[in-house]
Amino acid sequence: MGLLQGFAVETSGLSKRYSTGVLAVDDLNLRVRTGEVYGFLGPNGAGKTTTLRMLSGLLRPTSGSATVAGGAPGSPGSLTRMGAMVETPAFYPYLSGRDNLRVVARYAGVPTSRIEPVLRQVDMTDRAHHKFRTYSTGMKQRLGVAAALLKDPALLILDEPTSGLDPQGTVEMRELIKELRHGGRTVLLSSHLLNEVELTCDRVGVIAKGKLVAEGTVDELRARSGGSSLLVRATPLDQAQRLLQSLLLASQIQVRDGVFSLAVDPAQAAAINRRLVADGVDVSELRVSEQSLEDVFLQLTEQAPTPPTPASGGGEKQ
Amino acid sequence: MIASLRAESLKTRKRWANWILFGILLLALILLGYVLTYVVLSNPPRNFESRVPARILKREVFPENLIPNMLSLTSTIGAAIMIILGGLSTASEYGWLTAQTILIQKPGRSAVLLGKLVILAIVTLLIAVVVLGASALTSYLLVTIDGGSSSWPSANLLLKGFSALWLEFAVWTAFGMFLGIAFRSTAAAIGGGLTYLFVGEALLAQLLRNTEGVKEVLRFLPGVNAAGVNASFGLTFRNLNATTQLVDATRGTITLLVYLAVFTVLALLIFRRRDVGGS
Repeated sequence: MGLLQGFAVETSGLSKRYSTGVLAVDDLNLRVRTGEVYGFLGPNGAGKTTTLRMLSGLLRPTSGSATVAGGAPGSPGSLTRMGAMVETPAFYPYLSGRDNLRVVARYAGVPTSRIEPVLRQVDMTDRAHHKFRTYSTGMKQRLGVAAALLKDPALLILDEPTSGLDPQGTVEMRELIKELRHGGRTVLLSSHLLNEVELTCDRVGVIAKGKLVAEGTVDELRARSGGSSLLVRATPLDQAQRLLQSLLLASQIQVRDGVFSLAVDPAQAAAINRRLVADGVDVSELRVSEQSLEDVFLQLTEQAPTPPTPASGGGEKQ
Repeated sequence: MIASLRAESLKTRKRWANWILFGILLLALILLGYVLTYVVLSNPPRNFESRVPARILKREVFPENLIPNMLSLTSTIGAAIMIILGGLSTASEYGWLTAQTILIQKPGRSAVLLGKLVILAIVTLLIAVVVLGASALTSYLLVTIDGGSSSWPSANLLLKGFSALWLEFAVWTAFGMFLGIAFRSTAAAIGGGLTYLFVGEALLAQLLRNTEGVKEVLRFLPGVNAAGVNASFGLTFRNLNATTQLVDATRGTITLLVYLAVFTVLALLIFRRRDVGGS
């Protein structure tokens, strides 16, 4: 596994418009640092799979460029250093798992001695002699990861690796992904599952309607979207609202189900509490609320501008 | 390309569908083409009518007519089997999405398809060898059972006949392979190929072969050209029921070679340029 310097993946103005007119990816500028686990987050139909297909050389971009594992997407230099599972793990149903890996190894020019170690790595040795068509979703996903690992790649691209897995399988796959980064390997992981990304990734890129709308660590994204807020439950509501409006800007105050959500520094909590109590308002609850990644995600994806042609469908995994 | 060749060889060998197709071809050839013909012509029904007596007609299945009989039998069932074989080899890669699994490995797209082409060429060659061998063995057994005598065709004729068989198998396989890549669907590739073979070539070409204007177009069809090549290997007796061919053997061979090249180049161009996945 060769180590790459700088960025393992770098795109510049990458766009893909399908022949149907759908603009699936719009001017995407993505930078995945060498050695990190990068979460490529977005709702279904956002353009994740289309992007990964372009990075793997399966789709030609309409415009823009990309460098993947030190080479142009789909070039022998790039493919030698990357392993990928894009969309569904796709194998020959009439072959066993082991024979499928043998086929992949032959295409990749990898010695067949690599097959048993990767089967052990994904815990598939016992079922490797069974036909692929008999595999459960979880086993198919694991075989997909095994195939991606055959080349011992410096860059690993995994598209929704926990898709269709049961909770146990999801946990196992997450642990496996954490193991895969050892040795300086870069992992680019696409997902629409926030929890998965939050638990496994160093940095996150959020894509919506084909555009990268945010990029950074999970904490940075939370902070960018307002970070934490102060939740206040107080009665009478009207009186509390009048007082808070005199203290804060209207944009800092939101009321949901009788609870105020105040976009203020949590250090102001004590002062606000004193003013409310002094004014005769009963404060029954006052706490700091960390904004969840889900809140951030919804905020970012809902704000994303709609491209000229809707970026729905477009070959995305549903 | 060697990497692709090795991978294709494993896939082709382990695919049961390929062996089943091969079995169907052999069974049809031996049972329908030899055994049934011999049984019927040895004991012709009372209402059997032919300008050539049955005892002469049955010599069609004897070694002296090995090449013309074999080519005649394989021209339809053989062509159909080869279209299916070619279609399955490429269209399945799209149906199972394995095209993307292959293309994100090391070899380029041309190397991947060239590996497939070489394997198909080897497979068609092996099938042609077995078909020729099975035909020869069956005809020998039948003439022995019959108690008559017959002679084997010359080595030169055997070689020419074998080359014609392989060329025709290769053309129809390349046609199926091209359809598989063009349609990216097994059903469409096989359905389209067989419809063309049985409706376009077998039916329309027979019905319209004497229509002026249409006749000129028919001269460019692969099946018509294959029939021209096959007809050059005449039976040892004059078959008064045989139809006149629209093209001679030389033109037929050249046209088939052109078709082989065109299907291969078109398949390569499409495979190299087209996106895999997405809409």
